[in-house]
Amino acid sequence: MSEFTVGKRQRRLLWGISVPMALIALTCVYPVFFALNNALKSNREYILDRFGIVSEPTFQNFVQAWTRSNLSEYFFNSVVVTVLSVLALIIVSSLAGFALAVLRFPLRKLIFVVILASLMIPVQVVLVPFYKTIIGLGLLNTRAGLILSYTAFFLPFSVYLMTSFYSGLPRELVEAARIDGAKLTQVWWHVMLPMGMPALITLGILNTLYCWNDILISLLVLQDNRTLMVGIAALRGEYTTNVPLLTAGIVLAAAPIVILYLVFQRKIVSGIAVGAVKG
Amino acid sequence: MGVSKTKQPLRKRGGKARSEERRFAFLFVMPALLLVVVFRIVPLIWGFVLSLTDARGVTEGAFIGFDNYAELARDPAFHDSMANTILLIATLPIWIMVPMLLAILIHQGVPGGKFYRAVYFFPATLSSVIVGSIFNVLLRNDGQLNQFLELFGIGAIDWLGNSNTALLSLIAVQLWATFGMSLLIFLAGLSTVPSDMIEAAKLEGASMLQTFWHVIIPTLRPIIEFVAVVTTIGVLTNMFGLIYVLTAGGPGTSTTLPEFLIWIELGRMNRPGYAAAISMVLFVLMAGIAYAQVRIMSRNVNV
Amino acid sequence: MTIKTTLLTASALGATLTGAAVAQEITVWDWKSGDPAAYGYIDEATRLFEEAHPGVEVNFVMQPNDQYYTLLGTALSSNAGPDVFLLNGGAQAQARFDALADVSDMAEGLLGTEEFSDADGTVYALPITTQGFVVYANKQRYADAGLDPEALPTTWDELSAACEAIIAQGDVPCFSMGNKEGFAAEFFVSALAASMLTAEEHAALKSGELAWSSPKMTAILDAWVETEAAGWYPQGGNSTAKFMDEYETFMRGEAANTIGLLSDVAHWKQFDDFLGAENLGVFRHPAPDASATAGDGGPMMPVAGGIGYGVNRASENIDLARELVATLASAEAIAIFAQDAGILPANPEVDTSAANSPTLTAILGMMDGASAPMAHANVSAGELEDLHRQSQLLLNGENTVQDAVQRLDAAQAAAE
Repeated sequence: MSEFTVGKRQRRLLWGISVPMALIALTCVYPVFFALNNALKSNREYILDRFGIVSEPTFQNFVQAWTRSNLSEYFFNSVVVTVLSVLALIIVSSLAGFALAVLRFPLRKLIFVVILASLMIPVQVVLVPFYKTIIGLGLLNTRAGLILSYTAFFLPFSVYLMTSFYSGLPRELVEAARIDGAKLTQVWWHVMLPMGMPALITLGILNTLYCWNDILISLLVLQDNRTLMVGIAALRGEYTTNVPLLTAGIVLAAAPIVILYLVFQRKIVSGIAVGAVKG
Repeated sequence: MGVSKTKQPLRKRGGKARSEERRFAFLFVMPALLLVVVFRIVPLIWGFVLSLTDARGVTEGAFIGFDNYAELARDPAFHDSMANTILLIATLPIWIMVPMLLAILIHQGVPGGKFYRAVYFFPATLSSVIVGSIFNVLLRNDGQLNQFLELFGIGAIDWLGNSNTALLSLIAVQLWATFGMSLLIFLAGLSTVPSDMIEAAKLEGASMLQTFWHVIIPTLRPIIEFVAVVTTIGVLTNMFGLIYVLTAGGPGTSTTLPEFLIWIELGRMNRPGYAAAISMVLFVLMAGIAYAQVRIMSRNVNV
Repeated sequence: MTIKTTLLTASALGATLTGAAVAQEITVWDWKSGDPAAYGYIDEATRLFEEAHPGVEVNFVMQPNDQYYTLLGTALSSNAGPDVFLLNGGAQAQARFDALADVSDMAEGLLGTEEFSDADGTVYALPITTQGFVVYANKQRYADAGLDPEALPTTWDELSAACEAIIAQGDVPCFSMGNKEGFAAEFFVSALAASMLTAEEHAALKSGELAWSSPKMTAILDAWVETEAAGWYPQGGNSTAKFMDEYETFMRGEAANTIGLLSDVAHWKQFDDFLGAENLGVFRHPAPDASATAGDGGPMMPVAGGIGYGVNRASENIDLARELVATLASAEAIAIFAQDAGILPANPEVDTSAANSPTLTAILGMMDGASAPMAHANVSAGELEDLHRQSQLLLNGENTVQDAVQRLDAAQAAAE
């Protein structure tokens, strides 16, 4: 972060600006309080006192969400699907980015445009045909189907980012490797992957968020064995939205992501910097 | 972003090396292309075919030409959803200005900036179910926001139940939930603004405002374009979850967006053919933006 | 690692991910099985069925209620639906008859099958609950307003007078209200139509011949607007979810009345728990210009076959699926549901005397000869969608009844 000397007056101005910014920050951490506070209430206490601070904390909601509502199973499912999807996204997009940014081949520009344009096709637009495609390929109710779907839907942005990143690398690197007689697969493995690491980390983190939080695609593809977010959405019943149970589920579902974020916070920020801007 | 280097082709080699390069390039790009074509392009074409039928429920539906589109032209709910979309797109400058301004302030060294940078991204990690549930309680007529406003003598406003405020409330919540992402992109962009340029401007006696306007904003232009495009796609396709939890499309049709209408036609109304027609209109709308996007993005990448 | 090994690894991984299917499994979709109050019922039905059919597994998949019909429609239209699925009676069931197998032979003796049958009387799903709307009253609030809590309103004038007294008292609104999804309007329309429409008019509404612009339907929407203007409801009805925000307000004692259900939730059992059985009153919703009256001369109440399980016509195990539906609708299984959740069973063989609630006793006493069709459940999905929207605009004063009925007429015409 580049700092530069500012006058006393401006310093004071910045302090003044910091106050509303602190208020915004407060709203950003409020959800944590909200969720924990309600998750610890019994349903009866919630109904009788929605806004107050929990008076008789109970862990019953967590237990119930985890066991009876199958969240433990769904949790495992989400982890498997998210990890493998993110791996697939990283591999596929770095391969494609390498080819599109560095290598010369016919139709390159067209292929790039096709992939970018598909960014414009949201899942709602293709709901029924997409579902039929999944069935036609025999992928309904398989984790592989969901992993492929996630990879396909989150791919265009990732490919764009990697293409952008690789096209900014000094091409002497590739040249040097090729003169040493390395095959292009080796160049990818030994040069492009390590060089692309900052952007790949960004992609990994963003795609983890997208996959973990997705409901719509998962609802369509995995109809028997759910992912966690769908399990949470299902806690919102027809009649009985048991808010404490729902928030307990929410806390369980959000915890891994929040922890991941807190741990990798610095990497995320700097990763986005290199990934999105340099290039 | 912002690739300015001109492209140097790989050094000339023999024809064998070049054909090998071609082969590998296709091999490398194939998984991505295949996935995109199978799961997105093919379903899109399929959807277009579906939109030309009167498919209802489980019946296949007969070919009816463009009748669904003609019905769309008469459907008041669809008109309202389009008007809402236009309003939504009109708020785009806010979606860009707010995170940009905050990013610049953090970059300029607002006290506590590092903390804000960490905390502002937090809502972006939450799913819409979570965000929706929270604001559902906050924004109710007897919710905490109104209780807070009452301290200042401001009477209760039914944020989500009034046609005048429902869509704006929804937009505000979505903005809150996503501004952290744009903010980080802007911060990243700002880190590439050469600090000696800012210093030079300072030395020449430029005020903070002048520095923003003449030095920082021009340098940020590619980032602004990038954020604009990504945000547009986001608001047109990712607000479904919030709509469902916060307003269910109401009151009336005041928060019904095309993506939500598609969902209703598919579900409660059980008309896949008609839903497909709405989908196609939404796609064309986005393709218009896609055109601008592809131009901006490929210009920056220099493919 | 070369590309080749990567691909090999990937495909091997793919094979293990796909997994093997269970030999014989009956899949059921619903939005109930994850509800704690339904656990006992689902467990019992599963036990009964699996005991009678060794080697067959029942797999209940609870879908998010929000997305239920979209998912179901998508799955059915792709021939990938579950073997058995749960449906709401009326319009939602009707819209899916062409995907359902005939279960008429198993429907004998069940109440409310008309909600799940076509014009020829073919039944497509077996109802498990009886559903209906009554007004629940907080007797304390009546007493506070100087009213006799033992003489709850039986006519529109009495109800209007009671509301006026309660509002004048100033503590609470007359009715709690949640119209975020348009449900409060659904309930209101059906509650009034029960007494205001004759049997022939109910049939005409169902077949699309009784227009919304007809005097009676217009009068119902007029009443919706007038009661709002008279201050019967709290502010913010359009941002309040009927389930459960509206009912929670009533359970906290912050409203004098609410239009509630007979089964599942938002009903006598739940309100007894919060308000105390002796403090809970119940009456049938009166209507202005009533043209139909019950055996006791009072208002009619809308009653319908709540929810029911149907068999997917395209199921590969259609016989087993039929058996399962029969089990789900059987007296043995339903008895547990009745006990846990407090439902009025569609199966009259189920004994409900154990419930021991004075309000339930009162309801059972009131039902005799008072059942009317549930108007909102008999109109098309398009009309219902527009009713939701128009009711919200009417509540906000952003639309006139004249405009609203015109829109509803158009939706009615569009539905054939």
